[in-house]
Amino acid sequence: MKRSNFLLGTVSGLAVVASTDHVFAQALAQTPLPGLPGGQNRCLVLVNLNGGNDGLNCIVPHGISDYYRVRPSLAIPANDVLAIDAQVGFNPHMRSLKAMYDKGIVAVVQGVGYPNADHSHFRSSEIWQTGVPDRYEHTGWLGRYLDEAGLPDGDLFKGVAVSQVLPEVLVANRTDVPSISNLGGYGLLADRDPLARSAYSQQSRDKRLPFTSPYLAHVMEIEDHAQRTSEELPKLISGYKAQAQYPATPIGRSLALAAQIVGSNIGTKVLYVSHGSFDTHVSQFATQNNLLEQFSDAISAFYQDLAAHGNDRRVLTLTFSEFGRRIEENGARGTDHGEASPLFLIGGGVKGGVYGKLPDLSNTNMGNLAFSTDFRSVYATVLERWLGRPSEAVLGGSFAKLPVLG
Amino acid sequence: MAAPQSAVDFGGIRRPVGQLDAATALEPYPGPLNERLAAHLLRRAGFGGSPDEIRRFAGMSVNGAVTALVHYQSNMEPPPADDTYSGAMLLSQYGPRGLRAMTDDQRKEINKEIRANEFRSLRALQMWWVNRMLTTQAPLQEKMTLYFHGHFTTAALLKGISPALAFNQNQLFRAYALGNLRELTRNVSKDPAMLVYLDNATNLKSHPNENYARELMELFTLGVDNYSEEDVRNSARAWTGWRYSRFTEQAGFDPTFHDDGVKTFLGQTGNLNGDDIVNIIFAQPQCARFFANSFLSAFVYNDPEPQLVDGVANLLRRHNYELAPVMGTILRSNVFYSDRAYRSLVKSPAEFIVGTYKALGVAQADPAVIPALRNMGQELFYPPNVAGWPGGENWLTSDTMIARQNFLKRTVNSQTIAQSSWLRGMPLQSKNAADALVASLLQGDAAPASVFKLDGYLAGAGTSALAALSPENYDERVSGAAYLAMAMPAYQLS
Repeated sequence: MKRSNFLLGTVSGLAVVASTDHVFAQALAQTPLPGLPGGQNRCLVLVNLNGGNDGLNCIVPHGISDYYRVRPSLAIPANDVLAIDAQVGFNPHMRSLKAMYDKGIVAVVQGVGYPNADHSHFRSSEIWQTGVPDRYEHTGWLGRYLDEAGLPDGDLFKGVAVSQVLPEVLVANRTDVPSISNLGGYGLLADRDPLARSAYSQQSRDKRLPFTSPYLAHVMEIEDHAQRTSEELPKLISGYKAQAQYPATPIGRSLALAAQIVGSNIGTKVLYVSHGSFDTHVSQFATQNNLLEQFSDAISAFYQDLAAHGNDRRVLTLTFSEFGRRIEENGARGTDHGEASPLFLIGGGVKGGVYGKLPDLSNTNMGNLAFSTDFRSVYATVLERWLGRPSEAVLGGSFAKLPVLG
Repeated sequence: MAAPQSAVDFGGIRRPVGQLDAATALEPYPGPLNERLAAHLLRRAGFGGSPDEIRRFAGMSVNGAVTALVHYQSNMEPPPADDTYSGAMLLSQYGPRGLRAMTDDQRKEINKEIRANEFRSLRALQMWWVNRMLTTQAPLQEKMTLYFHGHFTTAALLKGISPALAFNQNQLFRAYALGNLRELTRNVSKDPAMLVYLDNATNLKSHPNENYARELMELFTLGVDNYSEEDVRNSARAWTGWRYSRFTEQAGFDPTFHDDGVKTFLGQTGNLNGDDIVNIIFAQPQCARFFANSFLSAFVYNDPEPQLVDGVANLLRRHNYELAPVMGTILRSNVFYSDRAYRSLVKSPAEFIVGTYKALGVAQADPAVIPALRNMGQELFYPPNVAGWPGGENWLTSDTMIARQNFLKRTVNSQTIAQSSWLRGMPLQSKNAADALVASLLQGDAAPASVFKLDGYLAGAGTSALAALSPENYDERVSGAAYLAMAMPAYQLS
């Protein structure tokens, strides 16, 4: 949500003010490589695998014997794994995603995390979403991107959270981001009466109130924004017809709406979708296998739908999860909170393959997988090589890019 | 390296502007009450009130009003048995052996029957609780129950947690609403629904499960960064041994599964068990600060100043964590009645919905409140995750704001007006009607320009579409105006 004060943390705020020219020069030097499609209309879909996705049972190190030793009941039999190579492969319930991998449009980045990993869902998710591990930051990394990307002021749908809540990743200082959980419910009943509509519209702007409240500005902004976006959205996107059969799951529905928004060309740069919960402390198999299958099938339908409309090359999907899970299983056929885990980049511009280091099960951090790729490297890559914006200002530092986007 | 604590309301720092007078903050507010402050008290210590109730409280002394709210007559009356369904009886007919002997299809049938009953029962239980919040003579008991429900979180229907189990936990909160916080924490740790939800029922000596040990400290009592990973592991060991049977829905301690070895936890060493963990946690000064921060953020304003937190922390420790005297002090205090605290919180969906019914004088909730609560982001007995509902501006997104306004629009109709004696009795002069609506629903917290427009709407002024307010168009016009008044920004704020 917008703030009237520029609330980016002090250090990075100063960095922006002091070195804009330097940062901009660097940005020009790092504009997207020629040959990537799209340009103006590129879009990022962020999928939050919430709860902490167990990386070892998702991208399975079937070639590492330690994996079988420490997970007597939870390891996935090597024969069942959808092998990528002699070392790793997909969880057997991810057939659709493996098929996309075989087409070269899925990149797996291994061992992603950050230093001094936090094992709290909330703090770690906050870190992944704000992009700032070492202090509290209010805005999200993509919120900051939306604020500084120079996108047209009047565009109401630059960023869309396909959810009821506004995730931290899309909290911005100067950009309003609508939360839209489903299209059918997204409309104000009272707006059917033009007089009520006009009175309501005025009320959300009349500022002279006989009380103060720290939430007043926010309430009025949201009231106004809800009315404007709910009036505009149906007009803009109701012409789109899905060209794929989406699974009847929450993530299927969310991605169907995402495809509709992308395919209606309303200036959306970022979409957010959440899937879970992957917090599998108990009886991991049933839950995680099911969720991975749902994700895999939904993403496959999503890209089929996008492709049928000619949009598949301009949509990049990035997954993230607040942490991976402990290497050893616990006593309840599950796993506890861990640290590093793999993530996926799918679709537009992706150079398929496995990136990063194989998980090292012998050299652990108190039973947790150590990270080998800083998550901010992934973000920097996406910001610069996909969204075409300098990453230092957004991330408060410089991070090595990965060659996943050409 | 200790990372800084996240803000309590991680949607943003929302401390009211201005200065706290720390020296007198917790001293009793001398009064007098008026309608604004009485409505404020009723919203915070419950779910609001009708114009009559507000007037009644406005005439009391601060002490009288708070005493009436704090020294409530406890209402532990349960809902009808059907509302608290448990599949345990069906399961225990067969027993574990019987179930194992079945075919997959037979087991599927049984699960289907159980699930169907669980869904039906949960809806009924949600309705029951909304109506309890609406009609109770002890609103503070229900408000504290709701607070604890969002604090010591558990979700019904996940992991086989039946409505019966969810309700029993709910009653635990109701019983301890203004009771002893340490004892509540001890009892909720052993509550069957909690044992299942946070996996302590499968936390075994041979393979400890850390889920409860972590969340007990991180979310329930101390906050992040006030313990080490070693503390989490040792607490998990101390909490081993609690078993639960889904056939009997009973929980109990079985020493066979308990790790009775020596552990060190927050600097204390010994053969520690769960009770010891609770005692050691509550001996930490941070525990009092954590709860102080939480209570202040829920009942006074967000991001309370450290001196205010310390003041309430001292109160908690001085009263050995008895909540009645502590809440009584907060609800009588200068800071509670200050301008800074007034309208400084965002109403949760439950407060928004129940408060609307109370304000309009509706006696019973419509079943449509259940999807309304869900669309506003608060499904009772089903928090989104173990952190509960973050609250504050997290309640308000474009999606949930539409849900709020649409609930209001649907609720003000001729049936509602028929039930509301004060809405029926509104004056026919549009200016008086506008003022009356704003006074009754908002205690005057509206922009003069908005009230002027509301008057215009009622009068049909300046349009050919609306005639002047008359007995014929009265219901429709008044309901439209009531909606508009409640659509004003102050109405979202407690």
